[in-house]
Amino acid sequence: MTAVTCMSGVELLMDYLEGVLSSDVRATIEQHVAGCPRCTAFVASYCETPRILRRATETTIPADIETSLKAFLRARTSAFKQN
Amino acid sequence: MIVPTVEPSDEALAARAAAGDDSAFETLVSRYQGRIYRLACRLTSDTDAPDVLQETFLQLYRHLSSFRGESRFRTWLYRIASNAALMHRRAKARRPDASLEDFLPRFDEHGMHAATPAELQVAARADELLDRKVLAEKAREVIARLPDVYRDAFVLRDLEEIPTADVARTLGVEPATVRQRVHRARLMLRGYLSELVEVKS
Repeated sequence: MTAVTCMSGVELLMDYLEGVLSSDVRATIEQHVAGCPRCTAFVASYCETPRILRRATETTIPADIETSLKAFLRARTSAFKQN
Repeated sequence: MIVPTVEPSDEALAARAAAGDDSAFETLVSRYQGRIYRLACRLTSDTDAPDVLQETFLQLYRHLSSFRGESRFRTWLYRIASNAALMHRRAKARRPDASLEDFLPRFDEHGMHAATPAELQVAARADELLDRKVLAEKAREVIARLPDVYRDAFVLRDLEEIPTADVARTLGVEPATVRQRVHRARLMLRGYLSELVEVKS
């Protein structure tokens, strides 16, 4: 394939990370990124983005919502009849 | 001697619940209510999540007998929950898409990144550099601003960490489409985080 630019490399990044590219395309991308500080930096922040947002949107169920879920299911199903 | 108790599998509980054992259903609810609530918050909003949660478990109760065990119980439940969230969102007035296109990476005429390595790297440190509460609030806001198809794919694949093939089945699209949508979402969100950090510093 023709030489990878930052732009064409970015377009293939997800497919690269998911392992769906052929080995020669993979190798061409790896070669470009290894010699490109911009792409190295870009890949780092691209890969961290899901983790950062996963942690930022972590949440636990509030007690009152848990209580109303049980009340809701008690009214509409045969479950949660005790307590 | 302490005999370790083995927790029954989801699939075993689902089979018992389908046969009319309410306590098995209750165990499944308590096992998954937190995760389904979190998924509902990510796919809809804190305000709508309780309704999605209730709808999900009601649907689960009603359809337990149709669970065939072809997929894992968790995959199946997440599919019910995702559909409940998407239906719920569809029923509400469509919000305008505030464009996140501005956050996509920019390239020069040779296809080279226009930004410097330092600028390109900074988003990776957003959680070190930003206040946790501010980041949590901004994260919820920006995910809600994503176009729906990108949001659904990103939430399921990247936030809930569901394998691409299962996300594809849930959304009724090809795996390649999921990858393309997740990619687009990551690009926008990465750029958004960069800007957030730069505005802050």
